[in-house]
Amino acid sequence: MVAPAIVDERPSRERQLIRFMAFGLAVLIGVSGLTARLVYLQFVRGEVYQARAEQNRSVAQAIPSTRGLIYDRRGHVLVSNEPSYAIKVRPSDLPLSKRDDVVTRLSALLGIPVADINMTIDSNPGSRFDLVRIAQDVPIATANLIAEERLELPGVEVAVESKRHYTYGPLLSQVIGYPGAIDAETLKALRDQGYLPDDLIGQAGVEASYESTLRGVYGQETIERDATGRKLQVLSTDREAQPGDSLVLTIDTKQQQLAQKAVVWAMRRAGLKRGVMIVENPQTGEILAMVSLPTYDDNKFAEGISRRDFQALLRNPEKPLLNHAINEQFPPGSTYKLVTGLGVLSDRKLGPTELVQTKAYIQLGPDKYWDWNRAGFGRLDIRSGFAHSSDTFFYQMAQRLGIQRLAYWAHQLGFGAKSGIGLPGEVPGIVPDNQWKQDIFGQPIFPGEVLQAGIGQGYDTVTPLQILNAYAALANGGKLLQPQIVREVVDADGTVVRPFAPKLLHRVKTSARNLEIMRLAARQVVTSRHTFNLVDVPIVIAGKTGTAEFGVRDSKGRLPFHNWFVAFVPKHGNVARPDSELAVIGFAYDSNTVGNVATEMVKYYLQMHFNVRHDYRLSYLLNRGNFYGGN
Amino acid sequence: MGVLKAEPARAQDWAAKSVGAAWRAFDWQMTIFAVLLIGLGQAMAYSNTVAAGDAIFDPSSTFARGLIWTGFAVIAFVVTAAFDYKWLRTFAWPLYFVNLGLLAVTLAIGDGVSGAARWIPLGPFQFQFSELAKILMIIVLANYLASRQKTLDSIRTILGACLLVVPTAVLVVLQPDLGTSLVLGAILAGMLFMSGASARWLAVLGGLIVAAVPIAWTYLLRDYQKQRLLSFLDPSADPQGSGYQLIQSQIAVGSGGWFGKGLTNGTQNQLDFLPVQTTDFVYALLCEELGFLGAVLVLGLFVALIWRIVLTAWRSQDPFGLAMAAGIASMLLFQLIINVGMVIGVMPITGIPLPFITHGGASLISVAIGLGILQSINIRQTRAEW
Repeated sequence: MVAPAIVDERPSRERQLIRFMAFGLAVLIGVSGLTARLVYLQFVRGEVYQARAEQNRSVAQAIPSTRGLIYDRRGHVLVSNEPSYAIKVRPSDLPLSKRDDVVTRLSALLGIPVADINMTIDSNPGSRFDLVRIAQDVPIATANLIAEERLELPGVEVAVESKRHYTYGPLLSQVIGYPGAIDAETLKALRDQGYLPDDLIGQAGVEASYESTLRGVYGQETIERDATGRKLQVLSTDREAQPGDSLVLTIDTKQQQLAQKAVVWAMRRAGLKRGVMIVENPQTGEILAMVSLPTYDDNKFAEGISRRDFQALLRNPEKPLLNHAINEQFPPGSTYKLVTGLGVLSDRKLGPTELVQTKAYIQLGPDKYWDWNRAGFGRLDIRSGFAHSSDTFFYQMAQRLGIQRLAYWAHQLGFGAKSGIGLPGEVPGIVPDNQWKQDIFGQPIFPGEVLQAGIGQGYDTVTPLQILNAYAALANGGKLLQPQIVREVVDADGTVVRPFAPKLLHRVKTSARNLEIMRLAARQVVTSRHTFNLVDVPIVIAGKTGTAEFGVRDSKGRLPFHNWFVAFVPKHGNVARPDSELAVIGFAYDSNTVGNVATEMVKYYLQMHFNVRHDYRLSYLLNRGNFYGGN
Repeated sequence: MGVLKAEPARAQDWAAKSVGAAWRAFDWQMTIFAVLLIGLGQAMAYSNTVAAGDAIFDPSSTFARGLIWTGFAVIAFVVTAAFDYKWLRTFAWPLYFVNLGLLAVTLAIGDGVSGAARWIPLGPFQFQFSELAKILMIIVLANYLASRQKTLDSIRTILGACLLVVPTAVLVVLQPDLGTSLVLGAILAGMLFMSGASARWLAVLGGLIVAAVPIAWTYLLRDYQKQRLLSFLDPSADPQGSGYQLIQSQIAVGSGGWFGKGLTNGTQNQLDFLPVQTTDFVYALLCEELGFLGAVLVLGLFVALIWRIVLTAWRSQDPFGLAMAAGIASMLLFQLIINVGMVIGVMPITGIPLPFITHGGASLISVAIGLGILQSINIRQTRAEW
C-alpha cells in the first residue's frame, strides 16, 4: 500500500497564468472594440447624429394665421374669433393596444360616442403622424382634465385655437357659412398652400368662397418637442403668420332681420317650410338681405357639430343647408313673362300699344293651352296683358318670338347662367332652346313647349336671385349687374384692400322706351289689384307675381305650385324713371295657398322697411287651398 | 460535498487577526472604482429624475430610490465583507435551493412588465431575484469547482457544473429573461475556464453550443425575442418599432461628442426620445450628456475594477476564492460588453443591465454582495507575493 501523497490542492501557476492572460486579453479586446465603436459614433459620425438629435428635438410647425372677420355694411361684427380648446389625436403616438382605452376615456370626457371618435380617427385625411381633430370648443375644465391625464391618454393633445363666433347665428348661416374639417381631396389640392390635415376650412357661404382671403398665410416656427410630440418651447420663429383679410358684406343686418321676419311670418301662417327673400339695390347690385328658410345655426358647426346633428341636417327634406336663393332652381312661372314681353317688344314683334286677342285657350293640334282663368281677358296690350298675367297673351308672344329669340332674351336678362354673386354652389338654371333640347332629349323643341317656355313653365328653371336680378336690370334702366354679397375686403389694419365697385355684366340690348313700358306694366300689376290691396300701401310698388306649377298632379288633376313675387320701388314714386334703389323677391316653395304667399311676404317686408304704420297684410290669402288666386 | 460542518479553525483565524491587519488587506482600489461607478450611475439617475420632472428627493424618484438602494448595497457589502467567505461553502447547497425557490416564487407571482414576470414587490420596492440568482449561482459553482479540484480535467466535472446551472437558467428563461440566462452561461464558462477545467472539453462544448444556436433559435425563442435580437442588424427596417430604441440610442451616443451636452442637457434624454432610459439604455444617455470622456471613463473604471477582481482571483489561496472572483469578473465583463454593445449598436437587445449604472436595486445589491465576498477573500488571505 502506498500512502496517499500529499497533493497540493492549488493548481499549478504556470497553467493558470495563460488563462489569466487570456481573460485579460478578452477584457482588452472587448473594451477596445467598444471604444472603437464609440469613437466611430461620437467622432466619425458625430455630426450626423448631432444633426439627427437636433432634428428629433426641433420640428417645423405651422403658426395658424388669424382668420379675417366679417362685418355687415354698417360695420356690425357678424363673425368674430374666440379662443377655444380643441382636442386632437396623433394616431402614430396612440399605441394600438391602448386605443380602445383612450377612445373610451375621451368619449366619457367629451360626451362623443366611441364610434364617432373611431370613425373620425379612421377617416383622417392625413398620415398617421398628422393630428386628427376629435372635438373643438371644449370647455376649459375638460381641456384641463385631458391635459392632466396626458400620461394615460397617449397621442391625445389639447390645442388652443380660435373658434368662429357667428353673432346672429341662424340669421345669416347660408350667406356666411361655417368652418369644417378639411377632407382628403381638398387637402390634396391645398396642401401646397399650407393647409394641414387638422385644419378647418370654410364649408359654405362666404367662409368657403372667400376662404383664401379670410385665411391669411400660416407662418412657421421651429419648436422643441419631446418624443410624444408635445410642444415644449419655441426655438425660433421662421416666418410670421399673416392675418387674413376681413370682409365687409353688402348685407344690412337690419334689412336681413326684417326680411327674415317677413318670411318667417308667412311660412308660419301658411304652414310652409321653404321660403326665400332677397333684397337688392338695383343701382349697384348689392344684396342687402338674403333669407333662406329653413335655416340652421352655424355656431353649431363652429363648436364642432355632432355626427348625429349633422346627419339630421343632411336628411332634412327641406334641405336647410342649401341656400335656396341660389343653390336650387325652380320654375319661374309668370315672373318670366318679363322675358317674353321685353323680348317681343324689342324684336318689334309687338307694338307698344298693339292689342292682342286673349282667349280661354290656344289650340295646338289636339292640345288645348288654357289661360289661367279659363276664360281669357278680351283684347289686351302688353301692359294689361302683363298686369292680368294672361297666359294666352304670352303664348302668342312666345309664338311670335320663337324659342331661339326667347332664349336670347332670357340670356340678356341673366337667365341660364350663374350670376357670379360669389357664394358657393350657385346653379345656373335652364333656358331651353333647340340645341339644349337636342342635347338633353335628342329631339327638337315642340311647338307646345315654346308656349310653355313663354310663361315660365315647362323646361324653364331659375334661381330666385336670377329673377330678382333681371327685375333689377329692368328697374335700373337695362344694366345687368353682377349681384354682390361682399362689399369690401379690408386688411387687418383696417385698410380697404378691395373697394366696392358695381360690376356691369352687360347692357340689355333694348331701348329705354321698351324698359319703361315694362316698368309701367309691372306697376299696372299692382294698380290693377291683381295683387289685391298692395296698391293701398302708401308706397309706389311695381312687380310681378308668379304661380309656378311643378311636380305631380293630385287626385283632382291639380299640380302643386310655388309662389313668386318680385317687386321694385322707384326712388321718387315714378316707375317711368329707372331710379329704383330697392328690389325685393319673395318665394314660397310648394305653397298651395288660397292667395299668393310671396306677395304678402314682400308686402310685409316693405311695410316694415318703410315704417308703414297700417298693416295691409291679408292673412286669409295664406289659408291652404289650391286656387290660382293670381297667376 | 453538501455537508454542514462548522470550521472552528477559520473562526479562530479571524479572531486572531487584528482589525488593522484586516484593513490593510482590504482592497481600497476595488472599492473606490466601484464607488465611482455608482456615483456615475447616480449622476444619471439625477439627470433622469430631472427629465421626468420629479422632485429630486421625492421617495419615488429614480435618484432617491438609487440613494436608498445604494444604502442597502453598502450594508450588504459590509456584512458580506465581514463574513468569512469560506462559510459560504457550508451554505452553498441551502443557498442553491433558496435561489431556485425565489425564482419559482417570482414566476408564480411576478409583477408583469410587458408580459414578463420578473419583479417581486417588496414593500415599496420591486426586486428582481434573477439578479440575485447570478451571485448565488457563482457561490454554488465556486463551491462545486473547489470540491472537484482533482477531476477538473474530466468532462464529468464540466457537465456537472452545467447541470447545476440548468434549473436556474430554465426558471429565468421562463420569466422570460433571456438576458440573465445568457449571463449565467457566461459566468459558467468564465468560472470553468479560470478554475482550470479541461480546455479541450470546453472547446468541444463551446463548439456544440455554437452548433445548437440554430435549433434554439427555431424552437426556444419567442417571436418578440427574435425580432429584438435581429433588429440591431438593421434598425432602419422598422424605425417606429423594434428598431426605434436602437436608432434613438445611437443618436444619443453619437450626438455626445467629446464632452457631451452636459448633465441634464441631453435632448434625447430630457425629451424622452429614448424609451427605458432609466434601465437598459442609461449608458446611451451617459454618452449623450457626459460625452466620449464620460463614456471612456466608465469603460476604464470597469477595466480597473475587473483588474482588481482578477488580481483577487490570482492571489486567492484556495480554489473557491479563485472561482468566486472569476465568476464575478466574468459576469461584469459579459454584462459590460453586451449592454454597452447593445447601446452602441453592435450587440442585439437582450435586456441585460449595466452593473452600477443601470438603476435597479437587485443588480446593485447583487454586485455589492459579490464585491463584499471578494473583499472577504482579500482580507482573509495573506498577501500573495505577486
